[in-house]
Amino acid sequence: MRSPVAIRVAASLLGAGCVVWATVPQVHKGLADLALFLAAIGVAAGALRLALTAVPVPESSYLLPTGLRVWLSFLETLRKVPWEEGALIAILWLEVLHPSRPWHTAVLGAALIAYLLATHLAESAASLGALRPQVRVLAVGAGLLALGAGAGMLPEAGPGAGSALLRLVAAGALIAAAGLALPYVARQPGTPDNRRDPL
Amino acid sequence: MSSPLGPNDRLLRVAPTELAPHWRSSRHARRLLTLGLFGVFIATVARRPEFAGVAAPALLLLAAGRVQRRPPRITVRARPSSRRGFEGELMALDVDVEGQDDCTVRWTLHPGQEIGPVGTTAADGQQARFTFTPERWGRRQIGTIDVVLRDRWRLAEGHASVTLPRLDCYPAPAQQRTKVVLRRLPNRLGEHPARTSGEGIEFFGVREYVPGDRQRSINWPASTRRGRLQVNTFAAERSQDVVLLVDATSDVGAPGTSALDLALRGAAAAARAYADARDRVGVITYQWGGASWLVPGLGRRQVYRIIDSMLASDTGGWTRGANFRRLPRAALPPGALVVVFSPLLDQRFVEALRDMRERGFSMLVVDVLNAEPPARQRRVDRMARRIWRMEQEAIRFSLRELGVPVVHWDGVQSLDLPLAGYTRRPLAARR
Repeated sequence: MRSPVAIRVAASLLGAGCVVWATVPQVHKGLADLALFLAAIGVAAGALRLALTAVPVPESSYLLPTGLRVWLSFLETLRKVPWEEGALIAILWLEVLHPSRPWHTAVLGAALIAYLLATHLAESAASLGALRPQVRVLAVGAGLLALGAGAGMLPEAGPGAGSALLRLVAAGALIAAAGLALPYVARQPGTPDNRRDPL
Repeated sequence: MSSPLGPNDRLLRVAPTELAPHWRSSRHARRLLTLGLFGVFIATVARRPEFAGVAAPALLLLAAGRVQRRPPRITVRARPSSRRGFEGELMALDVDVEGQDDCTVRWTLHPGQEIGPVGTTAADGQQARFTFTPERWGRRQIGTIDVVLRDRWRLAEGHASVTLPRLDCYPAPAQQRTKVVLRRLPNRLGEHPARTSGEGIEFFGVREYVPGDRQRSINWPASTRRGRLQVNTFAAERSQDVVLLVDATSDVGAPGTSALDLALRGAAAAARAYADARDRVGVITYQWGGASWLVPGLGRRQVYRIIDSMLASDTGGWTRGANFRRLPRAALPPGALVVVFSPLLDQRFVEALRDMRERGFSMLVVDVLNAEPPARQRRVDRMARRIWRMEQEAIRFSLRELGVPVVHWDGVQSLDLPLAGYTRRPLAARR
């Protein structure tokens, strides 16, 4: 799947799959219907935005017909609103409404990461090769994902020293990952610190 | 017709532009951040560690991308294949960037007005080539090009924009091979056979031999018939002054085939045809009661100077008023052939033509009007249309009565066809 159309289709299917995966079996508590609606809207609008990426916008909208102006406003809205972020939150909310199902959640996490990567490839018209430098990190992330799922399953296995140790390891790994991410969150890109000369 | 400038012309040595990209988080990074933070939030609130596992890959990617270095400055070089081109000519734009380190580069071309991209307008890589074609004559900006740098982890994007250089787009010249030649030519060497004997190659007549004539020019059959030596004489070859008079006042008709489009294309074709025949060619561009001019000159370079002059009336000289008496003799030499390209819609211009004719200039008007008022059903509109047509016919009739030939050119066929009646024999300057 190297063509831009194929990547767009893959991103849309992954998004739709994530919504379905997080919804089934359907629950009717904690604003589940609203979350499902928002997730579906977010994924659909994101797919539409990817499909309309190549539609040109005239530099000047002065004295344009009303219909064209409405169309341009629609395009602008479609391109500016962070649909994927909204879909992510709604999907995770749908998932948390269900009883604990760690491996199901782990599969959802992997699918969400794939959805985000495919969306990025589609909107930047890049090939799969652009992700090659990230393979190792993604592999480590998959390990952490499995560790998290395992930690979620341990209480089902029964109380004991082993389960407490594994949960501790999982929590530590997650805390370390979050700690690594903190500097990125705290500083805006483009600050002098980021522009330092390596030499 | 190829471009006048080669790829190694000094104009194409474009100085590189140093830019400071504006770095910001990519949408991808913001999505990963959303997934990571919301996953951690749910894991904490709901006490379900599997959601922390969901957040972990996103946070890990963000943390890994944090150590990436972003170049503060880049050097971009954009080189068009030529600064001058003709309508419809395929041109190329080469762009390259330096100092981007290990970031990937994406180029996006935003073409300017009347610049039509050929093929894709986006490309990846340190170097890229875009092709485009100028769709209509004029001095136009090629457009702008956006450079987007993405780091290895595609979490930050550096944006920069470069304004591309200006392009002089010449009107695509029409086809013209034949030339209108005056009956009386100035005493200057050229390629047109004159009505006097001289040193040309076209047979002119036979006369009696006088001492000093070349032996090789003796006409032996005529000498045998008449019993005395006869020699061949040849027509002298002269050149003429041609002044192209372009009426840029009225631009009626659809863009691309308007009266001004046709006038410029016809003038460019005439300039090329007469310059190829070693004539001195000049141009006068009439616009709203004023005129700019370029004095007649020789050679192919003069053709481009003429087109430049028509594109921007800032070369040569300038005078106000439609009275061509105010033009210097150098711009409108006496005895010159004046070829006029006009839709004949401006009454002051028509009066100026009459004035020139009365001063004895030999003129030929190429009518480039190919548009009419819109046809409507109302009786008053139809009547107005008929009156307009009658006025136009009256203008052309009055010019013909003064001895100014008026030919119509539709811009599609070769200019040789409407001019055929005047290129087969010398054009007489009747007073």
